[in-house]
This record gives sequence, structure tokens and C-alpha cells, in this order.
Amino acid sequence: MTSVCMYFEVHQPMRLNKFSVFNIGKEDSHSEYFNRKLNEQIFTKVAKKCYIPTNNLLLELIRKHDGNFRVSFSLTGTFVEYCQEFMPEVLDSFKKLFRTGSVDMMEETYYHSLSSLYDEMDEFEDQVKIHRQMIKNIFNYKPRVFRNTEAIYDNRIAKKVADMGYKGILTEGTEKILGWRSPNFLYKPTNADIKVLLRNYNLSDDVGFRFSAQMWKGWPLTADKYANWMSQIQGDIINLFMDYETFGEHQWTETGIFDFLRHLPGEVLKHDHMDFVTASTAVEKYDAVGEIDVPWAISWADEDRDVSTWLGNDMQLACFNELKDIGRKIKEKKDTELLATWRKLQTSDHLYYCSTKGLADGDVHAYFSPYDGPYDGFINYMNILQDLKQKIQTF
Amino acid sequence: MKIAMIGWEYPPFKAGGLATHCYGLTRSLSDKNVHVDFYMPKTKHSSNNDKSNLKIIEVGETEIFPYDRPDSKEIVGNFYEAVYYYNSLVVSKIEKNINKYGKYDAIHCHDWLTIKAGISLKEKLGIPLVLTIHSTEYDRAGWLYPNQWFIDIEKEGMQKADRVIAVSNFTKKVIVEKYGIDPNKILVVNNAVYPIAEGSKKEIVLFLGRLTIQKGAEFFLRAAQKVKDFEPDAKFVVAGAGDMLPRLINQAIDLGISDRTIFTGRLTEEEVKHIYSISSVYVMPSVSEPFGITALEAISAGTPTIASKTAGFSEAFKNCLRVDFWDTDEMANKIVSLLRYNPLHKTLADEGKREIDLFTWDSVADKTIDIYKGVT
Repeated sequence: MTSVCMYFEVHQPMRLNKFSVFNIGKEDSHSEYFNRKLNEQIFTKVAKKCYIPTNNLLLELIRKHDGNFRVSFSLTGTFVEYCQEFMPEVLDSFKKLFRTGSVDMMEETYYHSLSSLYDEMDEFEDQVKIHRQMIKNIFNYKPRVFRNTEAIYDNRIAKKVADMGYKGILTEGTEKILGWRSPNFLYKPTNADIKVLLRNYNLSDDVGFRFSAQMWKGWPLTADKYANWMSQIQGDIINLFMDYETFGEHQWTETGIFDFLRHLPGEVLKHDHMDFVTASTAVEKYDAVGEIDVPWAISWADEDRDVSTWLGNDMQLACFNELKDIGRKIKEKKDTELLATWRKLQTSDHLYYCSTKGLADGDVHAYFSPYDGPYDGFINYMNILQDLKQKIQTF
Repeated sequence: MKIAMIGWEYPPFKAGGLATHCYGLTRSLSDKNVHVDFYMPKTKHSSNNDKSNLKIIEVGETEIFPYDRPDSKEIVGNFYEAVYYYNSLVVSKIEKNINKYGKYDAIHCHDWLTIKAGISLKEKLGIPLVLTIHSTEYDRAGWLYPNQWFIDIEKEGMQKADRVIAVSNFTKKVIVEKYGIDPNKILVVNNAVYPIAEGSKKEIVLFLGRLTIQKGAEFFLRAAQKVKDFEPDAKFVVAGAGDMLPRLINQAIDLGISDRTIFTGRLTEEEVKHIYSISSVYVMPSVSEPFGITALEAISAGTPTIASKTAGFSEAFKNCLRVDFWDTDEMANKIVSLLRYNPLHKTLADEGKREIDLFTWDSVADKTIDIYKGVT
């Protein structure tokens, strides 16, 4: 049997207001860090193009296939806050999906942060617990599989996540850690007792990145063609991990992405040796076939599949260090309001916008960024961090 | 291939980017085995040239400053006369050289001042005409009261040229929209730079350019005033000469920044290189800027640059900061950020120098040769 495990990241960052050096140190400016209007605008736009139609389609497909079509999600805390604030019906439709029993919820840091890369793991643990509480409140469920921000993973993170009681963790199926081995099996870290699900990046990116690329030899990608490719794969599990916004947002309706999704379950289930599993089921059903050793952090981002997307240049490192430093000070002061603000500023997107990677990756960065380039992103973010720093000193 | 190029400035005589362009282009063309005869007005300085395929041919006796905006009627009359006279001298000189040494494959003119000669040679002798537009009358006038006389000459040249080279998409758009020229015969070739050595950086914020409406020095001074209280050690240098100098000095006094603003006047080439090399920030707040070679020069010297959003440079170059020229708050925000945040300064300087390597005269020459081949 070969199982297909589809997992979707559902995330929206809290984009920042324009904040110049002249705003630093002004009273009450920290309530104006976040650009509520822009965030609402983007959220409602993406909800209409992606979240609502795709949720509806998934619900229809799960019913049509009597629960044999299964998917997994991770919802970030910032995303859920947007739902609650701007469009509660989006969250309702996720609840409806979850109640079918064919949908799994995964854990992550509430703020979609890089806290797993801090010197100490306490902030990471706190943010995971906040997320855990949120999932419990909304779905009355305790996730068993963990997925870190953009699939960032190393031995230390795996150990910590295992210690926190999770049965599985996912990351990128890159040759860097696999060598000649196949991503289509479960593995375990050398240093911890937890199963690792590895993203099949070729098949995942066929949908996530290449679906509408007419230059690609696989174009046009149809559900039966894709299911056929998968049916020829030797292995226990094919992990298709992607942004949920692939459906209707990165790939517009006109590309045929919804038709593709509509026919995919049927085409996969036509093959007798294939089924769909959730991430939780996958780690119960399959054994780890080998060990992976990941001393340096990897991720699913960019061509480099490491953390250089967020920490690749001096500006990003400066912000990251400033962020950590501010955190230490806030925790000493035990100020809950500033703590909440600091946590929202930890969302990895803020650092992502400061990336100066060129060429192909740079285009992706520009597509997602609300700024005119990485330098404007840095100036704005750094100004806000400086303001927050001053706030701590004056409190 | 043999080209007659008609210009009006060539280093060391230099009033603007056109001289820099002609220098880089002709030298790289000659390295690529294109024979170039460069015609220009006679100057007091002799032009330096060590390229065997390149000849600098000086014509007449007049020095002309085509960026000056003539005010009084009398000067205007003399000015126009000087331009016509230069053009007619160029035509007869080129005809003479053709009789002696044979025909040119193409005539290549630069900006309005040389257009008349180009048109007349094309019409008399049927030689293909290429025209590079470095700036239009609209740019030079800062989009205020453009002079119809210049516009008419420019338009005639653009219409009659076989190909028009624009230094940016921004300029191409102006040529299409304001002059009604067929976009298919306009090709964009960005400018390039011979890199300048980096020096030890001082807390200097630099403006460098002609002090005319077009270049927006007044916005630089307004931003400087806003920076002043935040960065008490910063110095502001306004390098260059032009008709706005007295007004700018008064403005600096009115803004209360005269103690930290230095007006250098016109600088020599060596002084220009030096000031680029020791400045921490370069600001190019042009109201209108077809390209802006100075930005490339500053960046090549490791000086991060804040450029006007509408400048041709900022559409072509990634690793720079962009502002609206009138938004002096944002300009000040970016100047302070560059002075204050070393990682920003360093990343922009490093990435900028890397990107500069793409802007070579060698590649400008390649693109220009392709254009010559298309008309001959």
C-alpha cells in the first residue's frame, strides 16, 4: 500500500504599518505597529479566493468518497485571529471539515515564528503551548503531529518536539539529509523517538509552483496524470505538503487548479494499492525505515532548503538578534502587553521580507512582500523593534 | 563597421552623463573592432584617447553648454546660432571625410544638439541614422514650461532616425507618449559605469549634480534639515554648479543647516571620485531623470543610494532605496536609517557592488552594435 498524505499550511502574517525613524519613541505608537486595514483587506481577499471555496470543495470531496479522502492542516494563531476578527465563517468551515473525521490538525508555534532557532527553547515551548490551547478551544483536539514554521527542522528541534509528547514531525525531503534514500518512507532522528514525515518536493512543487507553468514539460497537469505518476512510486507514503493558498491564490481559478483538486481523490483511489492518510494516521500506520541526522537546520523554503531565507544577510541577523534581545528584557520586566506585541513581531514573514536573495527566489519574495524591496522591509521592521526597545526601557 | 558619432562633450570636458556615456561607449566599441569617428565641438582641453579604432575630431571654435537654460533674448539668439553653426560645420566636415576616406555605415547622434546634422546627412547621403536620447526637453525643464523649440528639434530627429535608443524604459515611455514615436523603433539601453574605488567612509550625505530644477537639490536640503536633529554629526555636501546655486545657499540658511551643509561648486574628476568614495549616503532626488549615471558611480564606490522613484536608474537597479522626490520625510527616514543601521548600509553596499558588475560599457557596446546591424 502507498498512502498519500496531503498537508496544507494555512497562514497569514500580521503586516506592519509604515513606521519611520521619526515615529520611534513616540507615545502609544506600539498600538499602531500592525496595519489592520491592509491585513483585513488581504485576508478577506484570500478567504474569498481560496479558503472558503477550497474548504467547500474539500468537504464535498470527503463526503463523496465516504471519508476515504483525507487531509491535514496546520492553522497559525495569527490566521485564526484574523478569522475570528474578520470572517468567523472561515473558521466555522474548518470546524465542519474537522468534524468529518477525515481531517487532522497539526501543531505549530502560534506565531509562525523562528523561536525554534533561539538559544533557549523556552519561548518555542511557550508558543507551541499557546497553539495547543487554541486548537483545544476550537476543535477540542490534541494534535499528535508537529510541523514547525516552514518545516524548519534540526536534531535539536526534533528532540524538543519529541520531549513535548508529539508522535510525528514533518520537514523537507531534501537530499541534504537523505542522500540516496527515498523521501517516501518514514524516518526517525538519530537522537529522539519520533517519526519524521518528509515532503516529496518534486511532486509537491508540481502542484504548488509548476501547476500553471506552460514552459514545464508536465503542463497541463491533470489529476489522472498526477495520480499515475504517484501510482508508480515505490514507498509507504507520498507526502504532498504545500501552502493552502496554492488553491485559488498562488494558482488562480483560471489555471484549472480547482478542477485538478476536484478530480484528484477519485483518480488516486482508482489505484487499488493507494489510499489517503492524515499525518496522525501515517505515524501510527508506518514504521520508520531509517535514521536521519540533521545538525544544521533545514526547511522547505527557497532553493537552498535551509534557514537562509530568514537569516541569510546582515540585516536579517541584526533584526533576529534584536528580537531575541528585546525578548529577554521583556521577560525580565514581566510586562504582558509588551510580551504579546513582541510575539506578534516574531512572525517569520517580517524577516522573510528582508531577504536579498536574487533571481528566481527573489521573485517569490517580491510576490509575497508588502514592501518595495528588502531594504524598505528592514527599515520599517527595525524602526519598530527600536521603538519597542525604548518602550521597555521607559515602562 | 564604421560609424560617425556626433556628440558635444567628451572627457575631460564634461557637463553631464552624456560625456560619460560617449566615453564608455566609444572605447568599448573600438575594442570590439568598430571604427568610430567622434565629432564634437572644439574645446580648450584636448581629449585623451589611446584607442586605435577611435578618432576624436573637433569641429569649429565654440564651446556650447547645452544644459544652460538661456533666459535673456540676446543669449538665446547667440545660443541657437552657435548650435546651428556647429551642426553645419559637422556636416561639411563629415562630407569631407567621406570623400577622403569612404562612407560611414551609420550616423549616431546624441540628444537634440546634434540632431540637425544627423538629419541632413541622412537626407543628403542616405546614411542610416541612430539617435540616442539621454534626456528630453521635458526632463531638463523638470516638466515645467518646456521650450517648444527644443521639443520640435527632438521630435523631428526621433521621427527621422531609423532607430532611437532610450536610456531607460522611463524615457522610452516619454518618447512614445509626448513625442508620438512608434515604440517598435525605440530600444532601451541602460547606462553603465567604470567603477570608482571605495575610500574610508565619513558621515557625509552627498548630493552631486547640476544645480538645476531637474536635479531636485532643494528636496535634498529639506530632507537634510529633518535628518539634522537625529544625526547631529552628519554633514551634507552639495556638489556641482548651476543656475540655482544662490537660491540653494539661501535655502540652506533659511532651514538653519548652513553650518553643516557644504557647497563645493564644480568639482574636478578626481574630486568627484574622492567625494563618492568617502560619502556614506548618496541621494539623487531628481524631479526628472532619464537614467542617472551618478547613482551607478556612487554605488560602485560602495555608497548606498537613495534615488527618485521615477529615475530610469531606479527601474533598472534592484539594490537601492527609492523615494518620491517630493517626499522629504521618507527621504530623511532613509538617510537616518542608512546612517544608523550598519547592517542596512553594509548589505546595500555589498549587494549594490555586486549588481554594478552587470552595468558595463562592454555590454552597452554589444547592444549598440546589434542596433547598428539592424539598420545597415
